[in-house]
Amino acid sequence: MSDDSLQIFAEEAEDLLGVAEQALLNLDNLDNEAETLEGVNDLFRTFHTIKGAAGLFGLDTIVDFTHIVESVLGNVREGTLSVDEDLVSLFLLSRDHLEKLVSNALGGADSITGELKQTDSQLIGKLNHYLGISPPDENELAPATEGTAQATKENIDGVVNENWHISLRFGPDALRNGMDPASFISYLNKIGELKSVSLIDDAIPSWSEFDPESCYLGFEIQLIAPNTNKDELEEVFEFVKDDCKISILPPHSHINDYIKMIEELPEEDMRIGDILVACGALTNLEKDNMLNTQDDFRDGITAGGQDFKVPQLGKIAVEEKVVQQEIVDAAIKKQSNIKQQRVSTQQTIRVNALKLESLVNLVGELVIGSANSELNARRLADADLNEAMENLLRLVEEVRDTALGLRMVQIGETFNRYKRVVREVSRDTGKDIELHISGAETELDKTLIERIGDPLMHLVRNAIDHGIEPPKIRAEKGKPAKGLVRLDAFHDSGSIVIQISDDGGGLSKEKILNKALEKGLVQEGLQLSDQEIYRLIFEAGFSTADKVSNLSGRGVGMDVVRKNIESLRGQVEIESEEGKGSTISIRLPLTLAIIDGFQVRVGDAQYILPLDMVDECIELNESLRGGDGNSNYINLRGEILPFMHLSDVFKAESKTETSAKDEADEKHRDNIVVVQFAGKKAGFVVDELLGEHQTVIKPLGKIFQNLKGISGATILGSGEVAMIVDIPEMVKRVINSGQKQFVSSNSIH
Amino acid sequence: MQQVENSNKSDEEHSDDVEQYLTFMLGGKVYGLEILNIKEIIEYGEVTDVPMMPGFISGVINLRGSVVPVIDLSQRFSGKPTEHTKRTSIIIIEVTNDDLIIEVGVTVDIVNEVLDIHSGEIEPAPSLGSQIQTNFIRGMAKVDGKLLILLDIENVLTVDELSQVGSVQIAEK
Repeated sequence: MSDDSLQIFAEEAEDLLGVAEQALLNLDNLDNEAETLEGVNDLFRTFHTIKGAAGLFGLDTIVDFTHIVESVLGNVREGTLSVDEDLVSLFLLSRDHLEKLVSNALGGADSITGELKQTDSQLIGKLNHYLGISPPDENELAPATEGTAQATKENIDGVVNENWHISLRFGPDALRNGMDPASFISYLNKIGELKSVSLIDDAIPSWSEFDPESCYLGFEIQLIAPNTNKDELEEVFEFVKDDCKISILPPHSHINDYIKMIEELPEEDMRIGDILVACGALTNLEKDNMLNTQDDFRDGITAGGQDFKVPQLGKIAVEEKVVQQEIVDAAIKKQSNIKQQRVSTQQTIRVNALKLESLVNLVGELVIGSANSELNARRLADADLNEAMENLLRLVEEVRDTALGLRMVQIGETFNRYKRVVREVSRDTGKDIELHISGAETELDKTLIERIGDPLMHLVRNAIDHGIEPPKIRAEKGKPAKGLVRLDAFHDSGSIVIQISDDGGGLSKEKILNKALEKGLVQEGLQLSDQEIYRLIFEAGFSTADKVSNLSGRGVGMDVVRKNIESLRGQVEIESEEGKGSTISIRLPLTLAIIDGFQVRVGDAQYILPLDMVDECIELNESLRGGDGNSNYINLRGEILPFMHLSDVFKAESKTETSAKDEADEKHRDNIVVVQFAGKKAGFVVDELLGEHQTVIKPLGKIFQNLKGISGATILGSGEVAMIVDIPEMVKRVINSGQKQFVSSNSIH
Repeated sequence: MQQVENSNKSDEEHSDDVEQYLTFMLGGKVYGLEILNIKEIIEYGEVTDVPMMPGFISGVINLRGSVVPVIDLSQRFSGKPTEHTKRTSIIIIEVTNDDLIIEVGVTVDIVNEVLDIHSGEIEPAPSLGSQIQTNFIRGMAKVDGKLLILLDIENVLTVDELSQVGSVQIAEK
């Protein structure tokens, strides 16, 4: 098999293992028996699909291991084994092990060695303990293929038949293509011993329509070949597989596979009972029972029509006590589930991330190119051209949104990963904790999701380890014994906010301050706001945990969290109430590629403000400014709005000094752009408002990595470079300088 | 001619590689840059100022869709800003930082020519008497009787140092 298809297998396996993890974690919380059964069925299917696919690639280690997992699950499904926490843990470990096996196989290793091998045999030992058997018979592991469509090989569900059953329907062109049905059958005789061959000639038309060059024949064959495998038999029919219907059923196949095969056979008028009898696939007992009920059976088909064949056949089998009701139910359910799965797979397409990235880059260039065209079109002042340009721009904007939308994924999947973390950490710490997830459908850029994973992990662990108190203390405080950790995501003015909150002990300001003094992070006697104190926990080497546990307390986590988030142009905020719990909010930009910008002019330079954060624009006149002209506040409809001259910040070291600015002030009235970030408003005074601009964010590169206040650059339609203002940073500055002024002047008006 | 120049040197140095250098004028002096690092030379223009950065960072330019920082070499060397004339050019150089290749532009007064220089002709930088930082200089070469300063561009454009300067300035404010 080529590496490509192996890659696809690995990706599928990864998805399936993800599904399995969810199903396993859900099992923990189910009290309802029906739901548990459904969950176990899901799991069974998932593992079975992996096994089938691994079989296709000849990955025996995976097949063998999965088979044992599957057998244990089979027992659970039968009801001979009940689900408890330990079993779920074992399944989770098995799932992890499979993940490693898959990546091992992807790395090109045929066999497993060292640690992996050890885990493999350990887990197999534990699983076998549940089965209550010695290692399984090799024959049972015989060829598993074709994913969900094919058989499960448990003895319980299989028929007694020890022979291979091959059902053949040659296509009409078989003879014309030089394929002789007889030669296939004689070749089969070389592989094994032909027990019976039944000719199916139902397809032969009336003589007037008969074409002597066409093939109308079909065969039902019983083959005694204990030493062969399915691949070998499939190879026999390699050349005709495209225009023939071929079903190959291994010995002891599941009754469902017979049902499925029969359903797929083309003969509409053919009596199913006859086929079953003719092919001799079922034992004498099974055959006799079928024969006895054949009339009812035929009625059932004529009444119910083709679609109801499966349930009808199943019903007969149940009446005759050949198959148990649950198995039939499972079979029907399985088939309907397979259909559902097919529908959902058609709705998504896997795309190489690099292709997507280059698409987004191209769209970025397209946006810049169209801005350039628009500029030129406007200069020409041709009405038709401008109208065409408008249309084009609108389309470009849609293309941009769609292209960026391709990268957006729901955060739910990431959140679900933490269920596992919570389960394990709460077990390790002996705390009973519930994870509550909301806003799972909130979408954000895939790159962001990938890079936010680790920081979130730290925060969730911290919440459990440091936040939630041990059950005893909780009881003393009168809190419910079960601790609550919440993960929440929502959109807020151009950002996405992810919150991790707990109902634990909260942060102790005193403790943090003492620790900070001890570590020399703050100086004694300094007045710090609550936020500033909380922010101390993000300093490197800071930990207030009294003792270091294997989960946290080493003081490395939180500063890594802060760095990771800041590298994504994000921010972290902490709110906490001692004794009641704390909430950590992470605020991230929605995308890293293209944004809607608001273009302004300051001096001779043009700047972009992210439009999502712009609230409104107002003219700065004397009445707004209030009494003395130097205050940095205006009265905005009764609210206090601190503001700042962007030129003061950006032009501080400029070559063209104040004289030019004063001139400009006389000609223009200053405008204030009111921006909002994280619920805080601030105003920036600019010289001119230039309107909306689709902004492709270009990174400024390493040289500017320490530059605060500018988050990136973009290229304008004219080809010039414009800086993008880092609103969060600037808002912080405005508010800080405002506070200083407030403290010094002690008045607003 | 080469033989004459090299006549008093050892045999080993005879076989030395020839390296090509681009020479340019800056503040009346001739400098040389190894040509392997140079991507292209463009006319000076359309440099966008980046606020809050030290003076020797002129700003950024749009180089066919990517944003490239421009360093004022004269300011970096002597603290005097380049006077922009018709012949002022930007040399786009590729420097390596953390295994990543970064493009940086430097402004120079006049671009001269490309010269072949034998590594044997290059002498180590003088430890004293140089007007620019010694670690910026890879060596000195004498061509046609004139002294040529060969720059060690990796040191001149140390990304870490450049960005560090930026943060110091910010912190002081």
